[in-house]
Amino acid sequence: MSDHPPVNLTIDGQAITVPAGTNVLEAAKLAGTDISAFCYHPGLKVVAQCRQCLVSIEKNPKLQPSCQQTCGEGMVVHTKDAASTLARKQMLEFTLLNHPVDCPICDKAGECTLQKLYFENDNADSRVDIDKVHKAKVVDLGPTIVLDQERCILCSRCIRVCDEVAGEHQLEFSQRGDHEVLGCAPGAQLDNAYSLNTVDVCPVGALTAKDFRFTMRAWELDATPSVCNGCATGCNIEIQHKNGRAWRLVPRHNAEVNDYWMCDEGRLTYHDLRAERLAGATVDGLPAGWDRAIKIAGERLAGALATPATVGVVLSAAHSNEDNFALAKLAKAWGAQVFIAVRPLVPARADGKLRVADVNPNAGGVKAIVEALGLATKPAYELEGAGLRALVLLGDLLPNLGAAGTGKLKELELIAISAHERGPVTGARVALPAAAWAEASGTITNAKGHVQRMHPAFPPPGQALAGWEAVVRLAQATGVKLVWAHARDVFKEMTGTVPAWAGLTWTREARPLALRFAGSRG
Amino acid sequence: MADLKQLVLGRKDVQDFGDTEAEMPHDLMTVNMGPSHPAMHGTVRIVLTVDGERIVRSDVQPGYLHRCFEKEVEHATYTQAFPYTDRLNYVSPMINNCGWAMAVEKLMGMTGQLPKRAEYVRVIVSEMSRMTDHLTCIGASAMELGAFGPFLFFLKAREWFYELLEKVSGARLTHTYVRVGGVNKDLPDGFCGELAHLLDKTGPIIVEVETLILNNKIFRDRVAGIGKMTAETAIATGCGGPILRAAGVDYDVRKDFPYSIYPEVEFDVPVGTTGDCYDRYLVRLEELRQSIRILRQCIAQIPDGPVMIDDPRVALPPKRDTYNNIESMIRHFKHIVDGIKVPAGEAYTFVEGGNGELGFFIAADGTGRPYKAYVRSPSFVHLSTASALIHDHLIADVVPIFGMINMIGGECDK
Repeated sequence: MSDHPPVNLTIDGQAITVPAGTNVLEAAKLAGTDISAFCYHPGLKVVAQCRQCLVSIEKNPKLQPSCQQTCGEGMVVHTKDAASTLARKQMLEFTLLNHPVDCPICDKAGECTLQKLYFENDNADSRVDIDKVHKAKVVDLGPTIVLDQERCILCSRCIRVCDEVAGEHQLEFSQRGDHEVLGCAPGAQLDNAYSLNTVDVCPVGALTAKDFRFTMRAWELDATPSVCNGCATGCNIEIQHKNGRAWRLVPRHNAEVNDYWMCDEGRLTYHDLRAERLAGATVDGLPAGWDRAIKIAGERLAGALATPATVGVVLSAAHSNEDNFALAKLAKAWGAQVFIAVRPLVPARADGKLRVADVNPNAGGVKAIVEALGLATKPAYELEGAGLRALVLLGDLLPNLGAAGTGKLKELELIAISAHERGPVTGARVALPAAAWAEASGTITNAKGHVQRMHPAFPPPGQALAGWEAVVRLAQATGVKLVWAHARDVFKEMTGTVPAWAGLTWTREARPLALRFAGSRG
Repeated sequence: MADLKQLVLGRKDVQDFGDTEAEMPHDLMTVNMGPSHPAMHGTVRIVLTVDGERIVRSDVQPGYLHRCFEKEVEHATYTQAFPYTDRLNYVSPMINNCGWAMAVEKLMGMTGQLPKRAEYVRVIVSEMSRMTDHLTCIGASAMELGAFGPFLFFLKAREWFYELLEKVSGARLTHTYVRVGGVNKDLPDGFCGELAHLLDKTGPIIVEVETLILNNKIFRDRVAGIGKMTAETAIATGCGGPILRAAGVDYDVRKDFPYSIYPEVEFDVPVGTTGDCYDRYLVRLEELRQSIRILRQCIAQIPDGPVMIDDPRVALPPKRDTYNNIESMIRHFKHIVDGIKVPAGEAYTFVEGGNGELGFFIAADGTGRPYKAYVRSPSFVHLSTASALIHDHLIADVVPIFGMINMIGGECDK
C-alpha cells in the first residue's frame, strides 16, 4: 500500500488526500462525513452486503457501496445527494420490514446501529400493512451467546468475526430471501474463545451475551477506559459501569495491542471485582480500622526488622506498576528479601492471537521495577527456606507454595495488602484492603512492554485504598518515609527510576462517558 | 434617682446627662433583611447599613435558591429541560416553557413553522401565566404594605387560573406543558368557555382591587415617589418588563420583536411617567387588562388543527403506532432515551416574561443534550438595581421597592 502514492479525491465538495487503498467510507470519515453502514467493520473483511453505505460517484452509472469502493485519483463522491439519500432511506425501510417491535425488551436498545441509522437517515412512518415474517426468538448458539433470529439483519459481521478473528467457522446463513436466518454451521456451535466479540459487532440485538443480557440497560452505563487484567496481552477495554459496579467489559480499539477485540475469558474477569472482597482492615481476623491495623502491623514488624533479612516482601504480578514500585522501594529501604508472586504459564492458552500463556497482567512491569532498583528476587514459592519471621504480601497469590510452604506461612507474621480475602490473605495477621484494578489509577506493563494506563471506574469498596497508598501507610509505621500523595507521584518517581520507562507521561484521569449521550458506536 | 439610673443603664456616665439630653447613637447600624423575612419576595438577604431609619448602604445577596439550572440542563435532554424551566419563574412557568422551546426550535430551523393552533395555545397559556404572575405580584406586595384584602382577592383569582392550567397540563404549578415543536397535548374540552367565564369573573376583581388600593392614602404614601428609576437608568441597567415601562419606555418584546401569534392580536403596551413604585403597580394592573384582551381575542380566533409540528425529528409518534410498528417504536425510543437531535449551533431567543425580557441561549453540539445553556433571567437583572433603588430610602421603603422589583428566587438564582 505504501508503495503507491496517496490519492486525491473530492467527497461532498471537500478535497481530501488519503493513502492509496483506502476505501471511500473511511476516506469520508476522515473528511468528517459518517456514512452509515451495518455490515462494514474496520477490523473485518469487506462484504458490501447491507447496501446501506451506497454513495454516488461521478461518471459511475450506479450507486456504489462506499465500503468496497477503493478511492481513485480524481474521484468525485457525493454522499448527501438525492440518489444516495433515497437509497439509504429505502434500504432502512427494507431492513425494518421484518424487524420485530422489540426495543423495550432488547439488550441492544440505546446502542443499536439500526436505531441510530433509522433515526438519522430515515425517520419515516411505517408503510407496512402485512404481517411480519416470524423466526425463532431464542436460539442457543453455544455456552455464551443467545440468538434472536427475528432481530438479525443478516450483516454477517458475526460470521466474519468467527472466521477472521477466532479462525473458526462456526456461524452460517441458511435459507433464502426473507426466510434467511443465521445459525450454527453444521456440527459446530459458537464456542470459540472470542465468541463474545460477535455481540459487540452485532449492529442489532440479535446476538446477546448470556452474561449481560437482561441485567442492565446499555444507555444507563458509563464507560471508563482501562486495560484488561486477565493476562499479559493487556487488551484495551472500557469498563462499563453503573452504581459502583462493572456490568461488562468491552474492547477498545488499539492497533498495537488488541485491535478491536478481546477474549471471552478476559471479558468475564469483572465478576472477580465483586468476589470475596476485603473491604476493611483486619487484625488477627477481626475487623480493625486503618489506624489500628497499621499501628499493629508496625509494632509486629519492628521485631523482625531488627534483622532485615528475616523480613520478606512479596511483589505481585497481578498488581499495578505503582503498587509494586511502592512496595519494592519499601523493601529496599528495609533491606528485606524480595519475592515475586507469578502465576505459572498456561501453555494451552496461547493461540497466537490475543491469548497468551502468561496469565499475569504485569509480570513484565514487576521485572523491570526490581531490575531498576537492583533488587535480588526469588520466586514466591521459595519463601519456605528463606529464614523469614515476617512477610508483607501484595495481592492474594502465592503460587506453587506447596504444603510445607503453606505450613510455614502460618508461623510467619503475615501482613497482606490485598483486594480479596482469599488464599493466603485469610490467614494474615494483619490484612489491609486494597483497591482492585478497576478502582484505582495506575499502569500495567504488558508482554510487549507497553505501559498502559488504567483509570478508576468507581471507588473501591469500604475502606480499601490503592495498593501503593497502603504501602505508604505501612512505611510510615516502620519509620520509612515515602512521600507520595497521588498515583501520579508514584508514577513520576517510577519513570525516573526505570530506564525503559523514561519519558512516559501521565494523562489526566478520564471522566466516565455517559453512553446515553455518546450515541450508538456500533 | 442618680443611683437608680446607674443601676438600670449600667453606665456611670449616664448620670451626668439630664433626661432631655439623651440622644440616639450617631454611629451607623447594620441590620439584616432576609433571607427569611415575611415581607421579602423570595429568599434573598439584604444587609442594610442604616443611619437611623435611613439606608446609607445596602448589600443585596441572592443565591439562596441556586439550583444549577444551567448546569443541570447540560445533563438532560432538550425535552427533559422543560421541568427545570418550570422552576425558574415558578409564578409563570408557561412563559419559561415557551422561551426554552423557542430557543430549541430556532436551532432546528422550525421557527414560524409550528401549526397555528399550537402557537395560539402557547399564547393562551403564556398570557394566563402572565396574569398569575401579576396577580401574585400585586396581591403579595399590597399585603406586605398592610393591605390584606387585595391579596385575598387576587390570590383567589390566581387560583382559578392555576386550576384551569392544571386541567390543561395536569399540574397546578409545574406544568411542563410546552414541547419543542408544539405543546404536549391539546386543550381540554370546553377550555375556551371556561377561560371566557374566568376572564369575566376576573375583570371585576381587578376593578375591586384598584378601588381598594389606588386611591388609598396609606397605600399611595407608601409607593408614590418611592424607588424612582429614570428611563436612562432602566435602559442602562438592562431592565425590562413593568419596571422599564413604568419608567416611560415603550418596550415590550411582544410588540418590538414579535413572536408566535402576537402580531395577530391587538393589545396596548402601558407605560408609566415617573418610574416609581406606584407606576409599576399601575403598569402591572393595566397589563392584567391587556392580557384579558389578548386572551379574549385568542379564544375567538384559535383555529382547529394539530398542536404539534408534523416533523419526525421532534414529534413523538402516536402511542398506538409506537406499540405496533418498529419505525415508530425506534423514533419514540430515540426521542425519550437519546433526546431529540438538535443540530450543532448557537441560538438565543427572548420572550416577554412576567417580569421582563426572558432569554435563553443554547449552544448545541449535535447530540441530544445542550452543550451549554444560559438563561437571561429578568429578575437577576432587576435585582442588580435594587441596591441603588433603596439607597437613601427608609427601611420601610425596602418592602414596596423590593415587592415591585418582584424578584423570583427560582429565576434570579437560576
